[in-house]
Amino acid sequence: MYSKKIMELFKHPKHQGKMQGADAVGEVISPVCGDMMTVYLKVENNVIKDVTFDTMGCAVSIATSSVIADLAIGKTLDDAMKITKKEVIEYLGGVPDVKIHCGDLAVDSLHAAIEEYKKKAKS
Amino acid sequence: MSVRDDFPILKKDIVYLDSSCVSLKPQSVIDAMNKYYTEFTACHGRSMHKFATKTTDTYYDAHARVGKLIGAKDKEIVFVRNTTEAINIVANSFGKGDKVITSNLEHNSNFLPWVQGDMEHVIVPVNTDTTFNYEALEEKIDDKTSLVSLVHSSNLTGATLDAKRVAKIAHDHGAKLLLDSAQAVPHHAVDVKKIDADFLAFSGHKMLGPSGTGALYGKKHLLEEMPQYNVGGDTVKLVREDLSIELEDVPMKFEAGLQDYAGALGFAEAADYLRKFGMDNVHKNDVALGAQMRDGLAELGVKVYGENVESGNALFNVEGVNPSDVCIMLDESANVMVRSGMHCCHYFNMSVWHEASGTVRASAYLYNTREDVEKFLAALKTVVGAFK
Repeated sequence: MYSKKIMELFKHPKHQGKMQGADAVGEVISPVCGDMMTVYLKVENNVIKDVTFDTMGCAVSIATSSVIADLAIGKTLDDAMKITKKEVIEYLGGVPDVKIHCGDLAVDSLHAAIEEYKKKAKS
Repeated sequence: MSVRDDFPILKKDIVYLDSSCVSLKPQSVIDAMNKYYTEFTACHGRSMHKFATKTTDTYYDAHARVGKLIGAKDKEIVFVRNTTEAINIVANSFGKGDKVITSNLEHNSNFLPWVQGDMEHVIVPVNTDTTFNYEALEEKIDDKTSLVSLVHSSNLTGATLDAKRVAKIAHDHGAKLLLDSAQAVPHHAVDVKKIDADFLAFSGHKMLGPSGTGALYGKKHLLEEMPQYNVGGDTVKLVREDLSIELEDVPMKFEAGLQDYAGALGFAEAADYLRKFGMDNVHKNDVALGAQMRDGLAELGVKVYGENVESGNALFNVEGVNPSDVCIMLDESANVMVRSGMHCCHYFNMSVWHEASGTVRASAYLYNTREDVEKFLAALKTVVGAFK
């Protein structure tokens, strides 16, 4: 069975939904199971003020996106880039091997959104 | 002795309900494969020593044994890697540039060769419960149609079409019929002559045989007329000084390069096993367990697809729960192995059922029992409860 933490976050997900007026958006699709995830960022002075995820996927995708939003809010963009997949999986109390890629999805989409924000800021 | 004793992997504490993906293998199939490596390793049709002769004889004989299961005659069976390769041979050597009809229920193996090919591809809809719509085929077919290529038994629900009837519809318009029988040959008595099929494709791995084996049945004159698909070693009798080529006879002109002899012998052993077991017995067990699964699922209040189809498959979704979660939880909590996702029918899932994450499929075979189904349903009940 999934860990208690995963089940809890699946039943009561946090930071979910589309964000109006987001400063950056990142989207990732898992080729393995077809899960789709879009992350929205609100950034002020290089600090992440708010994160939401629009997740269409399994319990692990939903749980990891909730955790990553929690971890990213309040961090600088550079610090948020340092959030690792391992850290998230440990926080969730482990993920079945076959579902590790779903855990990766949220980290990848957060990083994609940060990259996009940095690119936009430069131009 | 129970049939389960023939399958060494069933000594493990598992409930295996994923045979529509890959079936388990009896010891006799494993032994037949090992025998090639331990007793007479060689290649066919070239060297003259004892091992080579044995390889040649058993390899040709394997074609006949596999053919016997579906009522094919000599030289009508081409060994391939799988159903997908068999269909690609037809798509590239027969169907090129023509009008081809498939249904919307096709597995990608009988869909993408036509979607990505350069022929005119017409898609006829099946009924929402995956049963075949003969009227829709009659409506779309015309005398310009050269090939009708249909899934014989659905890998989703197990719904099986009346192959004889579609053959007649195709032939009435001068078209040929290709059947994707990957799910039909393992689960039903199939006779290519009674059906009057022109081509029929199936795989070894779903019918107790090794993975990486399969067969294309074709009427002999069609195979003879068709150009090669793969070219190279083993496909020619002679290459002359002026570079003119004398091709091998069918089926060898389609079997390029050194073949998987151990696989072929395992495949033939699997065909023999099924013939001895009796395809009607296979089907009877499938249908009984499929009905037991669907009744149990209805009691649990989960959504069942193709609920009136008679087969060993049960296709379902637990409301609000991703199919992959159901699949993993059944495995993690009770060693119950089922499959989740699109089942390679993306088009049907997306365009008809609108299930972007797919479904869960439990599929039974001849080694499954009522007790397996009871364990599966009990485990599912717990999973459904956990997500409430």
